[in-house]
Amino acid sequence: MNPMIRKELRQRMRERRGWILPSLYLVVLGAVVAFAYFLTTLDRGKAIVQGSTVGVVMFLTIAYAQLALLLLMAPIFSAGSITIEKEQKTMSALLTSLLTSEQIWWGKFVSSLLFVLLLLVTSLPVLSMAFAFGGIGPWEVFSATITTVIILAFMNSIGLFCSSAFRRSIHATAVSYATVVALGVVTAILFFVRLQLYESGVAHASTGSWESIPLDIRVPMYLNPFFFLTSSFAPPRQLYPAWTTCAGVYLGFGVLAVALTLRNLRRSRDV
Amino acid sequence: MIAVEQVRKTFNGTHALDSFTLHVAKGELFGLVGPNGAGKTTLMKVLATLLPVDSGSAQIGGLNVNTQTREVKRLVGYMPDQPGVYQDMSVREFLEFFAAAFHIPRARQKAVVDRALARSGLADRSHDAVEQLSFGMKQRLVLAKTLLHDPKVLLLDEPATGLDPMARIELRAQLKQLQAEGITILISSHILSDLEDICTQIALIGAGRNATDSEGQSVIRLHVPQVPQVQLRTYEIELVGDSAPAARLAEAITGVRVVESGSGRMVVEIEGSDENVSAFLRALVTGGVNVLRFDPRTLGLEERYQRTFGDRR
Repeated sequence: MNPMIRKELRQRMRERRGWILPSLYLVVLGAVVAFAYFLTTLDRGKAIVQGSTVGVVMFLTIAYAQLALLLLMAPIFSAGSITIEKEQKTMSALLTSLLTSEQIWWGKFVSSLLFVLLLLVTSLPVLSMAFAFGGIGPWEVFSATITTVIILAFMNSIGLFCSSAFRRSIHATAVSYATVVALGVVTAILFFVRLQLYESGVAHASTGSWESIPLDIRVPMYLNPFFFLTSSFAPPRQLYPAWTTCAGVYLGFGVLAVALTLRNLRRSRDV
Repeated sequence: MIAVEQVRKTFNGTHALDSFTLHVAKGELFGLVGPNGAGKTTLMKVLATLLPVDSGSAQIGGLNVNTQTREVKRLVGYMPDQPGVYQDMSVREFLEFFAAAFHIPRARQKAVVDRALARSGLADRSHDAVEQLSFGMKQRLVLAKTLLHDPKVLLLDEPATGLDPMARIELRAQLKQLQAEGITILISSHILSDLEDICTQIALIGAGRNATDSEGQSVIRLHVPQVPQVQLRTYEIELVGDSAPAARLAEAITGVRVVESGSGRMVVEIEGSDENVSAFLRALVTGGVNVLRFDPRTLGLEERYQRTFGDRR
């Protein structure tokens, strides 16, 4: 086993946030689910609420809330993990050991990803409540989980890149959060503003399907993690083009972030 | 063991190292002395494979530190000027992590860590958290970590900074012991008395270049016997009474030159072997000069440092 992974996991689990954050995460997720259940089953006159409707609403609520919470937590674990070595002056000890830059990166990546995956796993009992109501199949759960893992892995690699590029954890974390906001919010605003302008154009009719929207307007959404998650709810044969494009974009930028992080690690020898 | 030839390293147009040359033989305890910003840390980082050189060559054990980094890392133990530790680990966990990081086989790790703990005197603190150790103990822990993989060369960048006198004495003893074990040590420090006590040679560095002292030497030999057949030596003589007759007597002796004279003391330069010195002293006494003290005058490292770098501040 890579000694970096063992060291990182040991240190992370000893931190106070090692148990505070999972507790907080489950409390918030539980509250969101309870609120969604309450809203769905609220007495709306004579209408009877189908169990499958409750199941779908709860599943979607959990999936999006979980992604939002984990996107907020990912930078906490990844953005400080290389800068902390610089801050506590242990970087030169790592770089003069026989650990390669790849091993150092992998150790940091796996440990920070495992921690957010731990949160993902702890929410499974909450997610399983959606099954009790029906309307949700194993495929939806599987594809949503895989997509969430891809997004988190991507965000971790971005966080590690920021951590390798800055000397202080606070700066790396701030830029990581800015990236989360840019991907989750700015891309959506950009898309909807441009779509509005496009649809309000005299020569254009209202857009019907996703594919009928011009590519240059759609492009920002391929970076949006919530859109990526939404595209994963499609049946397996309809994953192309939206989901596969998102996966390709995330994979491409993720690989770029890894390459830049490794370059920074090799250059960060002057510490 | 360490061969640095015409090394140049520039940061944003400033030469941190400028055609610096250094040779350290196997088994030496070699000191590196210079003012702040002289390039000592840069040189240490270059040798520790942390910084690539712009030009020139730096080798350790015949291995190029720029291109054969992995092999050099196996050979070298590096202790930076501000060594860091993982505060939330125990002493043993800290050493175990670095034993694994140096690819010491799992079966050997316990024995290696136990040896490092015993060597550093931290065996009874092995289960304590690193944050509970004093500064001196942390330094010992970092040195123990540096020695885990049995390096042939130790690069120590200001290891005594911040240590109390007792810890400094222990460090000096440990370094002498390591040298006796055959490890080549390059150490930089501002504590000149420490270096003077333990080093075999000391190199002077200023503004990234080889600096020379008032005697024109860039490397000062300290604990290596050096008794050439013919040499010029300086003696300081304390006298009873007026020094003028003694000075006249001394000037009359071949191979003796009076450098200073007055108020009961005289400084002379004597050319030749020990016999010449002995004959000069005999001539003074038989000539009626009352000699109170007759001492060879050598420049201490501190005096040489002051003369070399004093006017550059």
